[in-house]
Amino acid sequence: MPPVNGTFCVTVMKDRCINAAMPGKCATCVEVCPHEVYAIDDEGNVRVQNYNACVGCRICSEFCPEDAIRINPAESEFLVRWPWTFPQVEEIHYKAQTGHYQLRGFGTMGSTPGFDNITVVPSQISSPAPRDKYREECNMEVVIGEGRCENPLRLHYPFIFPAMSFGALSREARMALAIGAAQTGISSNTGEGGLVKDETWLIKGYENETRTLKRWNPGGYLVVQWSTGRWGVSADFLRAGDAVEVKIGQGAKPGMGGHLLGAKVTAEVSAIRGVPVGTDALSPCRYYDVLEPDDLKHMVAFIRDVTNYKVPILFKLGPSRPYEDIKACVEAGADMISIDGLVGGTGASPAIVTQGVGIPTVALIPPAVRALKDLGVHRKVKLFVLGGMRNGLDAYKAMAMGADGVGFGAAAEIAMGCRACMACSTGKCAYGITSQEPELRARLIPEEAGNRLANFIRATGEELKILSMLSGHDNVAELCEEDLRAMEPNIAAITGLKLIGYERRLPMWDHLGG
Amino acid sequence: MSRVVDAKGRDLQSVSQELREAAAQDAVTLRNADHLHGLAAGMKSGEVTIQGDAGDYLGAVNDGATIHVLHNAGRYLADNMTQGTVIVDGSVGYGAGAYCYGGTVVVNGDAGDFAAVMNKGASIIIKGSVGDEVATYMLAGDLVIGGDAGQNLGNYLIRGNIFVGGAWQSLGHNTQVQELTPADIARLRGLMEQYGIEGDPASFKKIVRLSEKPFYN
Repeated sequence: MPPVNGTFCVTVMKDRCINAAMPGKCATCVEVCPHEVYAIDDEGNVRVQNYNACVGCRICSEFCPEDAIRINPAESEFLVRWPWTFPQVEEIHYKAQTGHYQLRGFGTMGSTPGFDNITVVPSQISSPAPRDKYREECNMEVVIGEGRCENPLRLHYPFIFPAMSFGALSREARMALAIGAAQTGISSNTGEGGLVKDETWLIKGYENETRTLKRWNPGGYLVVQWSTGRWGVSADFLRAGDAVEVKIGQGAKPGMGGHLLGAKVTAEVSAIRGVPVGTDALSPCRYYDVLEPDDLKHMVAFIRDVTNYKVPILFKLGPSRPYEDIKACVEAGADMISIDGLVGGTGASPAIVTQGVGIPTVALIPPAVRALKDLGVHRKVKLFVLGGMRNGLDAYKAMAMGADGVGFGAAAEIAMGCRACMACSTGKCAYGITSQEPELRARLIPEEAGNRLANFIRATGEELKILSMLSGHDNVAELCEEDLRAMEPNIAAITGLKLIGYERRLPMWDHLGG
Repeated sequence: MSRVVDAKGRDLQSVSQELREAAAQDAVTLRNADHLHGLAAGMKSGEVTIQGDAGDYLGAVNDGATIHVLHNAGRYLADNMTQGTVIVDGSVGYGAGAYCYGGTVVVNGDAGDFAAVMNKGASIIIKGSVGDEVATYMLAGDLVIGGDAGQNLGNYLIRGNIFVGGAWQSLGHNTQVQELTPADIARLRGLMEQYGIEGDPASFKKIVRLSEKPFYN
């Protein structure tokens, strides 16, 4: 279970705390904490009421006007009390008291096989010479749907903002993603929550809906999602997109449908989704209008027809059986496939699912790439990898393993200001990113957050460029497995990368050649 | 006079293109189209009559057209329709009227399982009988079934009404049978007269939700 509850110490320094000196004058920590660690009594005194609820997000510390709060990791009891750690005990008590299982967002926590035990191999003398990052160019563009539709996407960076719906995110966060994408020439994805009208002109970089004055260049791309809940979907919705994504699954809850908790189904969300205010919007786990493999092909065919064969059709997969699933997507007519890893998941999900269901991101790539190669469409049908992507280093590694690009979901939320408090599903986001409450939403200024997103993408792009050029490439599409080494046998076994020192792939990979 | 489009041996893209161009000018009669799936998808206007059978996903994402099939249609009829009318003189397969937001679906024969699943506002009228799991997670709109229904009818119904002229094998979760009000009878009578359903509207049973928030969380 997630190592959260009871693993942080909360210290309020009374000599700095305004409330300690003047009760009632400040209760910022009470106001911003999404987990009710702090409480205020009738006399205005603030106290720490529940140390165990602290998840270490440090929002209180950031908001505290006097820098009076310190949050420190507690001594790890995972070494001495496993398996009956405090979080595990608390979880059992919660279920026993309420009869409910735990829900949360923000993906898998703790250690899973990842990219960190892979290292980048720089160029020296025996391989193509390094390129000069400061004085030479590096092509970062990725084109999706070229030769397959009239208007392919030409992403300026090999990055996307993956599906995060209106409802899960606030209107302001959706607008910020559009502004960030517009400034960097990448795509933002509606998710399954329908369209926020302002997105359609913001993402093209326009000042306002008259679409006369361009404010941001180069302009981005809006991906509209066709999902199992089909919230807010119409012919006009499909035609509003620069691409249509067919959602099969997602990292947070593969095998389950989208889950928007009732607390976030406001009148505005209700109007788009068609579910009553305050009611959970639970998408089906599968398509009710797909029974057989050929049905998906026919579905893609009529979506292409409705969009007049102009835009690419994308697929989004959860982390299951990558080889077979990727093949099925290609056969159904995908122009691009995003595959989300175990670690991925900005959405609300039963804690046991987000924590323990699916394949880690790093392990999805080799079989996914193999499927594309076996079908002869590697680099033609684009592969994007999602799930726990943090920076240009992760992006480089995923792309050198054969992906065409990566998506930043949680990282995009963090770029907007999020501190990973994992309370997304409650609607209490202190930064207004995943909240529908007006007073919280007011804290998120779309343009500011959009600028932060654009900065994040540009900086991450520069990181990718540095790594690509120091390993001898002037085009990110040239990155290859030879640019990487596994630093320990497990990751070599999982990925098929050469192991440091051994300088070969492990023998178990010999049957695949290369 | 209507314009005739012959789909024999042709693919979806070429037939669709001709169909849309023709429908913008005149009513269209479509022939030999049973091999095509996803025909007449996303049309905003026009009248299309299909002679013979139709394939799957006919009139998907329909946004205002009137589509009339003179024989049977395949699965997922009028999938995700938002406006317009789709009428089938014969019977239809699985998933008729799935995910519809609005408009009217009329099936003069029988419909398979999962008809009206996740209906969000359409009027769906099946004169004959329907299969299992019909109107699962229906969120709004009306479903009228002239004949019988299978198992789990209206499973996790959230809003909207199901009117049944015959019997059902079982009702799904979150459903209850409610007395017809005079307003219900008047509305039902109007629909039955409009679409030629025989019988006494007062003899229909009405199924509605139990709770608006039936899910565990």
